[in-house]
Amino acid sequence: MTQTLPAPTLVDRYRWRVYRCAGLLALVMVTSLLLGAGDTGPWRALSTLLGQGSSEERFVLFQLRWPRTLLGLLVGAALGAAGIVLQATTRNPLAEPGMLGVSAGASLAVVIAVALGASSATVNLGVAVAGALVGCALVLLVSRVGTLGDDPVRLVLAGAAFSSLLAALTSLILLHDQRSADEIRFWVIGALAGRSGDTLLWSLPGVIGGLLLLLPAIRPLASLALGERVAAGLGHHPQLTRMWALVAVAILVGTATAAAGPIGFVGLIVPFMARRLVGPDIRRTLLPALLLGPCVLISADIISRLTVRPYELPIGVITAFIGAPILIAVVRGQRMPRL
Amino acid sequence: MLKPLCLALCTLLASTWALAAPRTLDTPYGPVTLQGSPTRVITLDESSLDAALAVGVQPVGTVSTRGSDQVSAYLQERAGQPQIVGTARAPNLEAIVKLAPDLILAPAGVSQELFATYSRIAPTVASKNSSMNDWQATTAFYALALDRQAQGQQVLAAIDQRAAELKARLPAEQRVSVVRWNPQGPIAMSGRIFVGQMLHKVGLRTTELANGLKGPHSDVLSLENLSRIDADWLFVASLNADGASALEVARQQPAFTRLHAVRQNHVATVDGQVWASGSGPLAAHKVLDDLQRILAP
Amino acid sequence: MKRSIPPGHWLLRSGSWSVLVDRRACLAGLTLSLALVVAGALSLASGSADIDAISAVRALFGVGEPMQVFLVRELRLERLLAGLFTGAALGIAGCLLQTLARNRLATPGVIGIDDGATAFAVASIVAVPTSLAPPALALIGAMTAAALAFGLAGGSGARGYRFIVVGIGVGAVFGALTNLMLARTDLDSANQAYPWTVGSLSARPWLAVQLLGIALLLAIPCAKGLNRALATLRFNDSVARGLGIDVARVRLLTLALTVLLTGLAVAVVGPVGLIALAAPEMARYLSGHRGVAVVNAGLAGALLMVCADWSGRTVLAPVEIPVGIVTAVIGGPYLLWILIRQPVRSTP
Repeated sequence: MTQTLPAPTLVDRYRWRVYRCAGLLALVMVTSLLLGAGDTGPWRALSTLLGQGSSEERFVLFQLRWPRTLLGLLVGAALGAAGIVLQATTRNPLAEPGMLGVSAGASLAVVIAVALGASSATVNLGVAVAGALVGCALVLLVSRVGTLGDDPVRLVLAGAAFSSLLAALTSLILLHDQRSADEIRFWVIGALAGRSGDTLLWSLPGVIGGLLLLLPAIRPLASLALGERVAAGLGHHPQLTRMWALVAVAILVGTATAAAGPIGFVGLIVPFMARRLVGPDIRRTLLPALLLGPCVLISADIISRLTVRPYELPIGVITAFIGAPILIAVVRGQRMPRL
Repeated sequence: MLKPLCLALCTLLASTWALAAPRTLDTPYGPVTLQGSPTRVITLDESSLDAALAVGVQPVGTVSTRGSDQVSAYLQERAGQPQIVGTARAPNLEAIVKLAPDLILAPAGVSQELFATYSRIAPTVASKNSSMNDWQATTAFYALALDRQAQGQQVLAAIDQRAAELKARLPAEQRVSVVRWNPQGPIAMSGRIFVGQMLHKVGLRTTELANGLKGPHSDVLSLENLSRIDADWLFVASLNADGASALEVARQQPAFTRLHAVRQNHVATVDGQVWASGSGPLAAHKVLDDLQRILAP
Repeated sequence: MKRSIPPGHWLLRSGSWSVLVDRRACLAGLTLSLALVVAGALSLASGSADIDAISAVRALFGVGEPMQVFLVRELRLERLLAGLFTGAALGIAGCLLQTLARNRLATPGVIGIDDGATAFAVASIVAVPTSLAPPALALIGAMTAAALAFGLAGGSGARGYRFIVVGIGVGAVFGALTNLMLARTDLDSANQAYPWTVGSLSARPWLAVQLLGIALLLAIPCAKGLNRALATLRFNDSVARGLGIDVARVRLLTLALTVLLTGLAVAVVGPVGLIALAAPEMARYLSGHRGVAVVNAGLAGALLMVCADWSGRTVLAPVEIPVGIVTAVIGGPYLLWILIRQPVRSTP
């Protein structure tokens, strides 16, 4: 008698999708080790991974490409998660830490710190988180509850205006301070390469802390999607939830910005992909976001390495080029997905 | 008795005629004819300021250097106290008018409209060649405009002579790489611009990467390709007054410490204002000073 | 029979023509014009080169030392006119776009027009050798960005917000391109491209200013003609249609006017986004919330631009602060104030 397999349940399908994301991430990470702007091509890199390679090749692989990939993992996860949470908090599928001025706030804070002469790793981290908090405070103020017929554009416009203001302030400081201009000018572009060795050390606790802080807020955020009144009726506190979530976002974005400079659009691309994959419920999209974020970021890094060899393009340009069509796709969707 | 008198008179007339002889300079917007010796000169970029100071003319007005409100450090000593008329990016036209100049030296890339406006204020010249590429011709150009051709030639000859002397003292066939360090990767200076030409003048060679560049400097080179800037000597140009900090930042990169030049401790920091963006006789002397200090102490 | 005039209005009559004018708006307009005249006079009389007032007036009419005449007529007057025209154009464009988008924050700068213009202008200087001058390319860039945003959003119809968001995306891409170009170029070209990246009124191409003047002359009557349609557009589309307005056509026309004015303004002065945001606010505040204050927005924009330029010239003389930076620094807190105090309904 043939045994029929049980039909795959919803949970199984979800699990398989998550596994696929994890597999994609592993693939992307390996590719990041194999490809680069230098002369160590994929075959030599592969053989180096398997143990036979010159010291030069081992250096390129383990001291250059591997730390970069790891940083991409951390920063990508942070930005992806921050994007998901920000969109859930503001119930706006266009919300993105870069576009709403959160990243800009963090980077302006770091620029000011460097201009004032205080520049060490831990200082930068704290300062960046503080700057990101200011950006989040603005998001909170502008997306105040009680609006009739939420206008998703209002938040985006406010964020765009705010981040362009911050960019102007940043360039104003750069104009007049040559000393800091040299240090900052390249940091401000955003890159995974060339970060100091201990960047990974202090950004890991930042990202993990932000994610841990997020855990208690996930269920309330999911209920927020049903509306303020329903959420309150279910026993959650919408305002408190929002603030809590935004603090977590600030920590994540602040850490990511302090580690790799401001990189935009990742927080837009990742939620879009995650939603397409597993639906809009934040309880389901968070895990794929943590996996897809690094995929997107490391892929962008790989592209930046391959386009203008032997030089490298700034990663922010690549993410902008990927992110803009996604932005347009989101907006042109049949209905603006209600989160 | 009459003959020597006539001869003296003729010589006098001839020399005054030579002094008042107009000179025509070729600018990107047509030939410009100048008369007489200018006394109130305004220079609108660093290379013309450098050339003017080298031939002994102190401009009454000039632009401040990037990121500061004064002229470059290496020119401050000889510059006196010129009036600052804005920045190289945004010169202040009214301040220029206020100084009532009789000659304006405009930068090579000046737009036609701006050149026309300057010409309304005072006779204006701009070099056709960028001074980065052909600094000796540009220096001679400015010397001609300032009616100091002889001094100009002397200055250039002195630099040539000094370079030849230094060449004799330097070990032969050393390769030098000039870069600006940026944490994501270095930016190599071209071997064809001012600093590269100076290096060649003293018999030093530049890297293959530097020689193949089309522009004045490269893009950000990937850290995986640092071998392309490796050479016998590495000069790190920094715009910070305190160059040591730039070197410290660079040393934090494991890729940097693997370079041959770094392992042999053949690394030095140099003033970026001269080595990365400067050009002109005084800059040339500064380059020779630095080379002497570093390579032949 | 005595005709009843609605309260708050004046009736101007001449022969068989009569015009109903909103009193408050009219007064606001007159105040703004007066302030503008004062600001203009101040701007002509002050600068790095000191000229006393009387000589300045005489030089304006061509009497006096040739250098002084040149200074006042060519340098200062041209600069003042450039400021006036660009400020007016940006104010009007901002007002139109805000009404179109029903959102106080929708300015031409935000929807990518400024970024497109800057990218094209910078490209013409540092990357692509073309015979067209940067202002022409800036205009083309502005139109390209607007067309891209319009096309990619599928029209600015009922889903007007789409256009805005797509514009933000397009602006981001152009911004990234500009940064890329500037990072890879040499110092001389970067210096030359500087005014286009930061917004400056120093030594602007006179032809572009004249073109802008002509465009303004044509645009203002157009905008006034559209005034009634625009006023109804502030409400729902269906309400507007019910009142007999061809919504799609009005939208398209308004958009075209906005892009034209912004493009020409950016071709002269570069990106000075905050004028288009602040000027309509100021105009609305002064002239009450009836109707769409297009002309007053233009006057307010001109006033703001001239004042910003004047302060940029005099505060740190002889170093000039470009007008784009002055407006960013002063307009920034103002923008924050709007954002925080924005009422629940965002309709202007």
